[in-house]
Amino acid sequence: MEAYLVAIAIVTGIYVLLALGLNLQYGLTGIINFGHVGFFCVGAYTAAILSQHGVSLFITLPASAALAALAAWPLGLVSLRLRDDYFAIVSLGFSEVVRLIVTSERWLTNGVQGIPGIPRMFADLSGMSQASAVLGLLLVLNLVAIFAMRRMVSSPFGRMIEAIRDNEEAVKALGKDPARFKLRVLMLGSALAGVGGAVYAHYIGFIAPEQFIPLITFQIWMAIIMGGVGRVSGALVGTIILMVFMEGSRFLRDVLPFISEVEMASVRIGIVGLALILFTIHRPQGLMGDYTRK
Amino acid sequence: MTLRIRGMTKAYGGLRVVDDVSFEVSSTAVTGIIGPNGAGKSTLFSLVTGFLDGDAGSVSFADKDLSRASPMARARAGMVRTFQVPREFTHLTVRENLLTAAPNQSGEGLLDVFLRPGRIRQEEERIRAEADAMIAFLKLDRVADSPAGGLSGGQKKLVELGRALMTGARLILLDEPFAGVNPVLIETISDRVRELNARGIGFLIIEHDLAALTKLASVLHVMDRGRLIASGAPSVVLSDPQVRDAYLGGAAA
Amino acid sequence: MRDIIELASIGLVSGLVIGLAALAVTLVFGIARFANAATGDTMTLGAYAALIGTAWTGSFLAGGALGIAAGAATGLLAYHFVFKKLEQRSSVASLLASIGVGFVIRAVLGLVFGHGQQVFQLPMVRPFRIYDIRVQPNDLKIAAAAIVTLVVVFLILHATPIGRRMRAVADDPMLAKVSGIAPKRVMIALWALAGGVSAVAGVLLGMKTVVSPEMGWEMLLPAFAAAVLGGIGHPVGAVVAGILLGVAQEVVSPLVGFTYKIALTYAVLLGVLLFRPRGLFGRNEGVR
Ligand SMILES: Nc1ncnc2c1ncn2[C@@H]1O[C@H](COP(=O)(O)OP(=O)(O)O)[C@@H](O)[C@H]1O
Ligand SMILES: [Mg+2]
Repeated sequence: MEAYLVAIAIVTGIYVLLALGLNLQYGLTGIINFGHVGFFCVGAYTAAILSQHGVSLFITLPASAALAALAAWPLGLVSLRLRDDYFAIVSLGFSEVVRLIVTSERWLTNGVQGIPGIPRMFADLSGMSQASAVLGLLLVLNLVAIFAMRRMVSSPFGRMIEAIRDNEEAVKALGKDPARFKLRVLMLGSALAGVGGAVYAHYIGFIAPEQFIPLITFQIWMAIIMGGVGRVSGALVGTIILMVFMEGSRFLRDVLPFISEVEMASVRIGIVGLALILFTIHRPQGLMGDYTRK
Repeated sequence: MTLRIRGMTKAYGGLRVVDDVSFEVSSTAVTGIIGPNGAGKSTLFSLVTGFLDGDAGSVSFADKDLSRASPMARARAGMVRTFQVPREFTHLTVRENLLTAAPNQSGEGLLDVFLRPGRIRQEEERIRAEADAMIAFLKLDRVADSPAGGLSGGQKKLVELGRALMTGARLILLDEPFAGVNPVLIETISDRVRELNARGIGFLIIEHDLAALTKLASVLHVMDRGRLIASGAPSVVLSDPQVRDAYLGGAAA
Repeated sequence: MRDIIELASIGLVSGLVIGLAALAVTLVFGIARFANAATGDTMTLGAYAALIGTAWTGSFLAGGALGIAAGAATGLLAYHFVFKKLEQRSSVASLLASIGVGFVIRAVLGLVFGHGQQVFQLPMVRPFRIYDIRVQPNDLKIAAAAIVTLVVVFLILHATPIGRRMRAVADDPMLAKVSGIAPKRVMIALWALAGGVSAVAGVLLGMKTVVSPEMGWEMLLPAFAAAVLGGIGHPVGAVVAGILLGVAQEVVSPLVGFTYKIALTYAVLLGVLLFRPRGLFGRNEGVR
């Protein structure tokens, strides 16, 4: 039971990293990123491939963040000037193309078979203490991310991205280029997703293209919308609610054993879909209320 | 400094919304643009400030050709607009709205946010003082710390004016600053415009409130169906029969 | 050379399917003003409904009719329960909700029909040759059905009062409001039409390949790309662009490999947005 809780806490920690990234992008800046999972994927594969070549964890984590941010750079450069909804479509396409690439380039990624045997973190520890160490690492990563984000929100940079969220045209009228700020935000959020991907790859030990479907992106969307758009704490609250849903659906299987794993997958898609619909209609600012920025 | 507009033209479908408009605006004056609804005044503003691409025409400010420049570059050249429907940053306070407008803030760079907090604090103190002075000047003290989204229409117009001023603009383009604004606030805005103009800031103002506008502007341009139909001193322009016909028309009374 | 023409003719058929999906996207974008990400899953739903209908009645035509009816009904339900409530909000709210609508449709289809692939039991016919080009009779049927659908849709848009009103709203929502066009009626017609067209696209795609819960979602990107390439809100443009994309996908697939076919649509989407955002046929859209 304890191991189970730690496992859930670890997955939650990874999702919180993703949610913090998306919250920075959408909640604070208004970027409609529908391709978040693509950067998660880039991070995971970077860590997996590097560590296959014996690169240590201390390098794979920052490398994953850097590569995910780097992948965001050309995307942002060319498409952040587009209308919001066009960027949404383009970013969704981006994550699908990333998945296509990791599926097709077998020499690098082993195609649909995926990459097994990714080295674990803290391999010299065993059992619970290893899992706790991973959890500790995630805690540190999340705290650093939250601290950095608070610093940013209260800086002139943070003021500017919130101005961009409120009215991009007016920012232009003041002589400041919104695309410049949005590009940085996109890259930062992607770096968080990339780190999340790296921890995920090292923790699960096996990655394959089918793990990086758009559903993941929209689970994160569900989390930040439920938790409260634009609140740093919202990412945390929302992710916990998300995990309750997802793990709850697992328990549902224990109660109703005749539901197959495939059917459960459909149920999860349905839950995410319903949550997106209901929250956009009835509680667009999430369970926790309106934007309160701090 | 002079804003030169030459042959500005913009068509939607076959309709020329702005049709070969040329005139000059001095940044030492207050200049008015009038014309019936749909005459193309706001579109002209967007063309001049780069928010819309024209089909033909050129724009220069302070002898610098800006015809191909981005809206940001045009604003940085010293020519800043406001919008007919105010575009305040709704979730930011009035003070924060003004702070966003201050130019060249090193705190807008991410590296400096983390590596040079001291310098940013100093800068913030300076522009905060500037913003506070602006707030007092525009009589926005009572709402300085309220989110701008909750202000009255007139107050929002003041916030937009304050933001434009904070950029250090030399020529400010106001799109209907008096529309929906109560008479007391119209007086405030007018006084401020006059004071600022005396300090060397130019204004180009689109306005339907002729009484208020003629008290401010020394030159009027009249647009009708995309064309510039008259220009000159208010008294001359307003007695022009063509203007009375086009603009004042039935509503002359 | 003959290979290329053969590929192009295959592409023409899949292009018609993309074109239909893009038509549904562009109608909604032009009139309701948002990118409807549920279009793909509405296609899937149409295909499954047609499968059931065919099994019940034994007639493929009757099955197709049920598919269209189901697609139209889905469009209307989505409008009534979701998009109508978001009309006053930003287009992003509707876009996000449309992802949710798509997910719900896919979840229901997955639960009811399972995740296996199903096929339409079409009679096996030998391919024949026209001027030495191999032609699949089924492809001809698909193309014919697509063309009939297009003709019907354009007749509705241009020759009926409600169609003319839809186009007026697409041209200028402000003007349309002022001139007293009942927007609600237009919206109902729009969602029924877009749902029906999506369903036809889904049925034809199912005839061409297989029916599975993911089939429509995978068509979403090509459909968006074609809608953008054709000029958002421009029905003829969407169809022409869909055909161009379909042909281009097939013709380049020997060069870039089968899997990167889809990446081509992405490249086209990006390229158009960057260099000619109004697409092939669209007008300049001003920022107001
Ligand atoms: N994006 C657009 N598409 C089509 N027509 C437009 C667009 N923007 C403005 N117009 C038309 O251009 C004309 C001029 O508008 P505008 O410049 O706002 O007038 P004014 O500010 O003088 O009232 C109006 O007839 C308006 O309907
Ligand atoms: Mg106007």
